[in-house]
Amino acid sequence: MSKSYYEFFCPVKVVAGSAALEHIPYELNTLSASRPLIVTDKGVRGAGLIDHVLAAFAESGMDVIDIYDDVPPDSSLKVVKDIARVYREKQCDSIIAVGGGSVIDTSKGVNILVSENGNDLSEFSGVGVLKKPLKPFFVIPTTAGTGSEVTMVAVISDPDKGVKMPFTSYFLLPNVAILDARMTLTLPPHITAMTAMDAMTHAIEAYTGMAKNPISDAYATSAIRKIAENLPRVLNKPDDADARLELAQASTMAGIAFSNSMVGLVHSLGHSLGALCHLPHGLCMNLFLPYVLEYNLPERGDVIGELLLYLAGADVYAHTPAHERGKKAVQVIRDMRDELNHRCKLPRTLSETGKITRDQLPKLAQMALDDGSIIFNPVEVDLDDALAVLNRAW
Amino acid sequence: MMQAKRVRVNPFKRPYVVLMMEVIGRSLEAASQVDERIQNEVRPLPDGLMFEMKVMPDGPALVLQKTGATGLKYLGRRPPRKPDVVMKFKHVTHAFLVFSFQEATARAFANDRILLDGEIAYAMKLVRCLNRMESLILPKIIAERALKRYPNLSLPEKMLGGARIYTQVAKNLIRG
Ligand SMILES: [Fe+2]
Repeated sequence: MSKSYYEFFCPVKVVAGSAALEHIPYELNTLSASRPLIVTDKGVRGAGLIDHVLAAFAESGMDVIDIYDDVPPDSSLKVVKDIARVYREKQCDSIIAVGGGSVIDTSKGVNILVSENGNDLSEFSGVGVLKKPLKPFFVIPTTAGTGSEVTMVAVISDPDKGVKMPFTSYFLLPNVAILDARMTLTLPPHITAMTAMDAMTHAIEAYTGMAKNPISDAYATSAIRKIAENLPRVLNKPDDADARLELAQASTMAGIAFSNSMVGLVHSLGHSLGALCHLPHGLCMNLFLPYVLEYNLPERGDVIGELLLYLAGADVYAHTPAHERGKKAVQVIRDMRDELNHRCKLPRTLSETGKITRDQLPKLAQMALDDGSIIFNPVEVDLDDALAVLNRAW
Repeated sequence: MMQAKRVRVNPFKRPYVVLMMEVIGRSLEAASQVDERIQNEVRPLPDGLMFEMKVMPDGPALVLQKTGATGLKYLGRRPPRKPDVVMKFKHVTHAFLVFSFQEATARAFANDRILLDGEIAYAMKLVRCLNRMESLILPKIIAERALKRYPNLSLPEKMLGGARIYTQVAKNLIRG
């Protein structure tokens, strides 16, 4: 008898497609909320995206009570406190996060403070500290990548102490994630590419990792197919609303997959590179993905090979002998990266970033070993292994 | 009120986990005194860092503390204060699966059987110490079940004092 075991959990209601934003007032009402606070950043507001949300509230009998649009790229303790103060002053009863990873994490922090009636966020840091549901919390992602709209974690930095505080709780999951093509339509090509490759990496690492399971596999493969098909479409025609929505859905599906099946070495290395050289997360994912897959290939070639169907389609899959599919899948990803490099200047190697020197690699390898995701990589990684991958990625 | 039915449980499970907690605690202490790799993992940890591995809700458990530059000291079953890093098995059966080498430590993490509390980077170093210790004192055939990959190593003969006990317990168990 097989001794396999897994858990799968995703209670987030997904509201997706045409006129999705217009469903928000109804969904708030269902949760007995009527005074939402919008949390966003200057970039999102400047791009006019909040106007779409506000338009959805018109003629709904409900108003947005206030808009906080000053979330910085790195969510911090101070900002969380600031927003919680606004929430209380304006007597809001729900939060709508409109943005990318930082806005969403910040909003999760705000929700902890206003729901627990706290002032010191650090009291709630850690795993399972929260014991009861928080205020109604909606997320409208404006980058199709992080998947934070379906994850139960938030990381908020405390610059004074120089630490990043992790928060993990089922209660951090939003009640509703709204996917509406209008919200990602104007995302610039290079950001679209980076965030899509982050989502691609979530799906691939979830599918090939130690904690894979049949339910998240279904989300992962579907996400991979959507990204492989629609990222080129969006780059060819940035205002292709259908393709944009496909990418947004893929990102959420990849988020559901990895929040249940975790990520692996691409993320261990990527988190370290991001921290050391301040490079965007999606860029780091795009950079390391093929090198890590090649590292995992000897032991995990069959599972990686299954992904060829979703990456390249039925014809290529059928015409590739079974034992070559893993290698071919990596080649498809390499081709994809060449294309992204050509179109959006996304670096494919560490040297192409121009942000790191070769003598920093041992430090980077050490940092990667201490990253929690490395334990879920399907193949064991020691310091020499990590360094070897970094050297190949040089 | 209806009384929950008495059910039969494996009577050796809990005592075995209690024993293994102590064996692991003492083996890690001993290993940190002789093995350079483990010392290299311990060195960057903050002074006095306290680590607890326990079974929910209230034990069995083991507590280790960093002492000196590279040492781990076995403090017994009860932490004298709130530990800095805690690795919690959700049920005694899950600890039994790991300690009887039916489930690798990494697999137990992947299977959501273990909760980690505290700084992840420190926890990762401690997990590596655990893996290294197991690779040293367990017979290869058993260590291969406990680890994702069995390392290439020349087994130093006069290994830790606890090695023989540990091996014997494991052998007995696998034989059923
Ligand atoms: Fe990611």
